[in-house]
Amino acid sequence: MAVKALYDYDFPSADRAENFGDDQLVFVQWKGNPFFCSAAAFRAPKAMPFGEFVAAMVVPWAGSDPEFDLAAVHDWRLFGEPLTPADGVALTELGIGHKALISFSA
Amino acid sequence: MSIDKPEARVRPKKLPLKQRYSLLTRDLDWEPNYVTREQLYPHTSYEGIVVHDWDGWEDPFRLTVDAYHKYQAEKDKRLYAVLDGFAQSQGHLTLSDASYLNAIKLFIQGVTPLEYAAHRHFAYLARHLEGPAPRFAALCQSVDELRHAQTQIHTISNYNKYYGGFHSWSKMHDRVWYLSVPKSLFDDAMTAGPFEFLISISFSFEYLLTNLLFVPFMSGASFNGDMPTMSFGFSAQSDESRHMTLGLEAIKFLLEQDEANVPIIQGWIDKWFWRAYRMSALVAAMMDYMLPKPVMSWREAFELYFEEQMLGGLFPDLEFYGITPPKHVNDAIAEKDKLSHETYKILHNFSFAAAFTTQTPQQEHMAWLSEQYPDTFDRFYRPTWEKHLDIEAGGGRAFFQGLPQLCQVCQIPMGFSEPDDPATPSLRTSTFRDEVFHTCSNGCQWIFEREPEKYVQAWLPVHQIYQGNCGGPTVPDVLAWYGIQEGDNGEYKGSLDQQSWAEWHPTSTKEA
Amino acid sequence: MSGTLRQVGIDIQESEENRALIDAIKQDNPDLTVRHLPGLVKVQSSGQIVINRETVESHLGREWETGEFQLAIVSYAGNFSEWDDDQIIVKWEH
Repeated sequence: MAVKALYDYDFPSADRAENFGDDQLVFVQWKGNPFFCSAAAFRAPKAMPFGEFVAAMVVPWAGSDPEFDLAAVHDWRLFGEPLTPADGVALTELGIGHKALISFSA
Repeated sequence: MSIDKPEARVRPKKLPLKQRYSLLTRDLDWEPNYVTREQLYPHTSYEGIVVHDWDGWEDPFRLTVDAYHKYQAEKDKRLYAVLDGFAQSQGHLTLSDASYLNAIKLFIQGVTPLEYAAHRHFAYLARHLEGPAPRFAALCQSVDELRHAQTQIHTISNYNKYYGGFHSWSKMHDRVWYLSVPKSLFDDAMTAGPFEFLISISFSFEYLLTNLLFVPFMSGASFNGDMPTMSFGFSAQSDESRHMTLGLEAIKFLLEQDEANVPIIQGWIDKWFWRAYRMSALVAAMMDYMLPKPVMSWREAFELYFEEQMLGGLFPDLEFYGITPPKHVNDAIAEKDKLSHETYKILHNFSFAAAFTTQTPQQEHMAWLSEQYPDTFDRFYRPTWEKHLDIEAGGGRAFFQGLPQLCQVCQIPMGFSEPDDPATPSLRTSTFRDEVFHTCSNGCQWIFEREPEKYVQAWLPVHQIYQGNCGGPTVPDVLAWYGIQEGDNGEYKGSLDQQSWAEWHPTSTKEA
Repeated sequence: MSGTLRQVGIDIQESEENRALIDAIKQDNPDLTVRHLPGLVKVQSSGQIVINRETVESHLGREWETGEFQLAIVSYAGNFSEWDDDQIIVKWEH
């Protein structure tokens, strides 16, 4: 339903893609681990290779759990659907777009 | 001189209260002949609410301006006498523990600015509502809310002398991540129309949920030796009964005026119950985790003040008008054993960036939580707290090393679980104008999809940090922009607050 | 109209002055229950609670305006169905 207003109510979204230029927001969830209260939010270049994204951003965050073991990471998902990770492939080429939610188990 | 019985004295003749009230409020109103009615009141039609007769508005308190300021001045005199005594006698020494003050930091940062915002918006209503009776009630409430803001500031300022986190509450309300939760709620209400504001704040906030939002802080103050806050609470409470009356009268009046209003009001009740309930998650965390001497559990408060008094008392009354209980109320009921734990985990994990400190509950506290929440605490929440305790026993302190995913509507980090399953995070996704939006619950998703044009504009703290609008790219940059100073944030144990406490209570230290 | 009347209640600040007020309310509402909680007194009755200025004055020993009740009230359950110079009545409408 449209917002009721005295004028034409039409305003841009505060977090639209163009506000991040060549970067985008990506949310990462460690499934089944209550040690983290929520998924984490990262800003990363759209062209960043997936492996670099994991190493530079996900691992430092996940590693604050003393039980984190990179070798145990598996079952990557994108919005709940299976995602085949490929270290050398850019985020957007894997279908990970602006404000995508990806998750892993470990 | 003998004491006469009151009946024996000759009373000066006065007009009866009803007539006095009428002459000095409603009868001062006029019909404009210099502009049209629509030009004089341009905001009262666009929401679709229909009012046929503004004279139908009942105002049981019948205050005139002279009576109003006489009674309010008396309330202020009584409160400031208490505050003076407190300041003169080092009253903070009666507190149960310095860690209690984290609840009051949350209060002045999160609640006091809302009082001020309410003051402003009731002043707007005092101009823009068409009927003289609700205009006058709004005018009184506007001055009440300003008094509340001022008295809270004076009350709490005493603690600012010795403890951190209080100094920049107004600036922080506008900038800091967890404070965008209350701020965005009130901004949402203030940018809605006058009738939606009446249902969102006067009804949902000041009537439906007022006891859940207010009583925990005041009884927490009472149990933890915080006399000034408790005195403020009693001083404000008598104003609150007028506010509750305004809220209840607003909803009944609008429902009675025209049947067309019923579905509009139902939609607002559905939206605003959930928005205010989500904000009350901060109160739940405070009650269960931030009080050295807890009063009652969130679960108990929710059952008493909401389920029993509102669902059991108020809503049967409103059924007469065709109103049903709020849309996602069953999700709220299903969450009552989980809300405080999930919310405090968020605050605990992020207090490095907050203007208060947190700590992992110790065994004694966990025993109380276990007793209050037999179905959930030991199974779902204790294991994580124990893990935090293990890390701390080894000299560490785990904070979230990064920024969280936020809900687009309530703006809380998305740390809530599915209503019927504490082990599964609750995550919802919507698309609008080809852009993805995340929400934390059925309630917030419903609110988003009902008015997406509004919520896509939300100033989400995490996204704003990432857009470079919060002082800089590093955590120290952001904390400086927030106004957070040394001693305000982080872990309570070893904090400046705890050290200050130890200095003021020397016999309780010396346990190296 | 059902045979059972819903409980109407008023929470009053615990204070020296309000003792007289509560005694007056007790006198005029024979079914009143009174509970003391930290800082406040909860009075309840089925159907309605009536506060009469004259009764309050006789307990207080001075003149009293019904408007002064504003200073005493903390919260209430019910509706103010009447409030004039001599009387205040709280009850449920439906």
